[in-house]
Amino acid sequence: MRALRGTVALVAASAVGLGLTACSDAASPIGGDGGKTVLTLGSWRTEDLTMWQDEILPVFEKANPTIDVRFNPINTNEYNAAIQSQVDGGTGPDLITCRPYDVNRAWIGKGYFEKLDGKPVLDKFDAQSLEAWSGDDGGRYCVPTASVLAGFFYNKDIFAELNLQVPTTQDEFLAVLKAVKDNGKYEPLALGSAESWQLAYNGLYSIGPAYWKGEEGRKGLIDGTKKVTDPDFVAAFAAFDAWRPYLPKGHESLKYADMTQLFSLGKAAVLPDGSWDINQVTANGIEIGVFGPPAATAGGTRYLQEMPDMAIGINAASKHKAEAEKFLDWTASTEFQQLYANKVPGFFSMGKEPVKYTNPLAQQFADLKTGAQLTPRLGLDRLSSGTPPFDDEVWRVLQLMYTKGLTPQAATSELQTGLQSWYKPQQR
Amino acid sequence: MRSRYRHLLAFTLPALAVYTVFAAYPLASSIYLSFFDSDTGVSRWVGFDNYVYLFTNPTTSERFWNALVNNVEFFAIHLLVEVPVGLLLAALLTSGRLRRSAAVYRTLLFIPTTLSVVVVGFIWRLIINPLWGLVEHPLLGDERTALPTISLMSVWQYVGIPMIFLYTALLAIPGPVLEAARIDGANGWTTFWRVKFPLIAPQFGLIAILTYIWTFNGFDIVFALNGSAPGPNYSTDILGTLFYRTFFGSSGQVSDLDLGATVASVIFFLILVTTAGYFVLLHRRLKSYEL
Repeated sequence: MRALRGTVALVAASAVGLGLTACSDAASPIGGDGGKTVLTLGSWRTEDLTMWQDEILPVFEKANPTIDVRFNPINTNEYNAAIQSQVDGGTGPDLITCRPYDVNRAWIGKGYFEKLDGKPVLDKFDAQSLEAWSGDDGGRYCVPTASVLAGFFYNKDIFAELNLQVPTTQDEFLAVLKAVKDNGKYEPLALGSAESWQLAYNGLYSIGPAYWKGEEGRKGLIDGTKKVTDPDFVAAFAAFDAWRPYLPKGHESLKYADMTQLFSLGKAAVLPDGSWDINQVTANGIEIGVFGPPAATAGGTRYLQEMPDMAIGINAASKHKAEAEKFLDWTASTEFQQLYANKVPGFFSMGKEPVKYTNPLAQQFADLKTGAQLTPRLGLDRLSSGTPPFDDEVWRVLQLMYTKGLTPQAATSELQTGLQSWYKPQQR
Repeated sequence: MRSRYRHLLAFTLPALAVYTVFAAYPLASSIYLSFFDSDTGVSRWVGFDNYVYLFTNPTTSERFWNALVNNVEFFAIHLLVEVPVGLLLAALLTSGRLRRSAAVYRTLLFIPTTLSVVVVGFIWRLIINPLWGLVEHPLLGDERTALPTISLMSVWQYVGIPMIFLYTALLAIPGPVLEAARIDGANGWTTFWRVKFPLIAPQFGLIAILTYIWTFNGFDIVFALNGSAPGPNYSTDILGTLFYRTFFGSSGQVSDLDLGATVASVIFFLILVTTAGYFVLLHRRLKSYEL
């Protein structure tokens, strides 16, 4: 009997212990720290932990000595589910990093965020920059932190050796690829089809806007006035398909890291990529330049994919909204944006005030914005909020185009069928 | 008598408590979750609607059945390759021909099992990389070869498990039995198939059911190699990755906790029914020879 009591006591003690640690974990973000208010900031960028802790947050805390901000990142892949269960369970961070478009719209619908309409912090951004984080009612809930751009890295030495000019139209682009292929010494295009996301994000969504006319085509799909099978969209898919002869051998199983490596080792002339890859492509010290997506015709409008990537909103259940608002005011300032964008090259400020970039490639990327029509990724706004998600379907058909020769016509009609099966505006 | 039960209870209680809190409760709550729909922000009891949706919605069920068929293939390849190779290796290790180096081989063959799946995936991806590897054919980029390739990588990693099972069973065969066979004039081949094999036969049932449980819970190698929407054209999608994509969401997919819980419950019942069926129908009939 004594043994039993001992065991029960032990189990009870350990259960209490577990409970206590759980409590103290949950309590620390809310509880004070020597009179300071502690704010937690949830994010999916675990790789930025030391940067926030050592370089960014101290600047804010120096100006606001009564506030202590803690950066609490969660692994990218688990971020959505983790935030959902935290907020639903009442343990969400005070400041939530907002995913763009549909995921965030679902969160807004569930009442996760404090509404920001009418707050002066929003005046630092233009309407289109705020669009990615607005609710169904058009209300604003998040303050933009950074966007990413898509373009083409090129090897300057190979271009010089083969006497090539930076292309400005699709025809010139294909001529450059053909010249490299005919020469035979280098791969024209560092592009693999094993990871389908980058076929969409760095391929189609980069060159496609020139054909579907950026926002005109994108919004047309959203309000149902345009179909994926329209000639503009088919032409965009055909332009993507025209790259196929210039892919490296065995591209079907080359991953994103393989192509970055192929390019940064100086074995390929052009790499269609996103701005976030700047540090990786320059790792081996080769001479690299950047050009924007080629226009459909000579002298035609230039389009550039600017993808709203990150924004920060206030948890509606936070106990420290006034302090959280102070922090948001600061992230909207040029001081923060200058600091942040230069710590992570390839991420760009979305504010109206221009920002200077110390990384030369980042500055070149930012310069592409001048005179170009900006447009986000085609498939992520509203079109992916049902099943099948349009964006995932685009990934799949683009991969099939490159691996099994699916035609642009067949690809677009598959997409239209999928979209029409659930998306109301496309059913009229 | 009563005090014996009390002691029994006392000794099992800690384990039972841990098991209940960390295994039974999450499992039950996951099954419970699968009967709700919380798309609109409020949880609503919907009974078996999520299951009906999973099995009949044209888009979702296509992914589900595809993942199930792929999973069966994943299991079949493991069973048909891993077990015979494991048997061969175990037979060679106990044949007495290797003498002292048997221990070295045994260790070498078992090492991959202890490696992280991420490491195994990375090594194999380099070996079969069409740009700088040994094989020119894009094995992982071809719908026909992608799943067998991943399965064989996994077989390579885990062949040590059936090998060790069969190896220990073979070692447990008493020497006099084998000596008697030798005196009766049986050669190595005959001894193996007529004497050793019947004695270790019950092991195969156990290995098969463990492989089944393991492959239907499979996820990591596919995720490590091909991500959460495993291509090309979902040809390497198995139940584990389908669950992950549904529950945690993917880039273009909003995570759906209820449907994710439904997929998890289906996987659980698939494993439960088969395992229970195996133990009730088959395992009790397998006869071990009394030695």
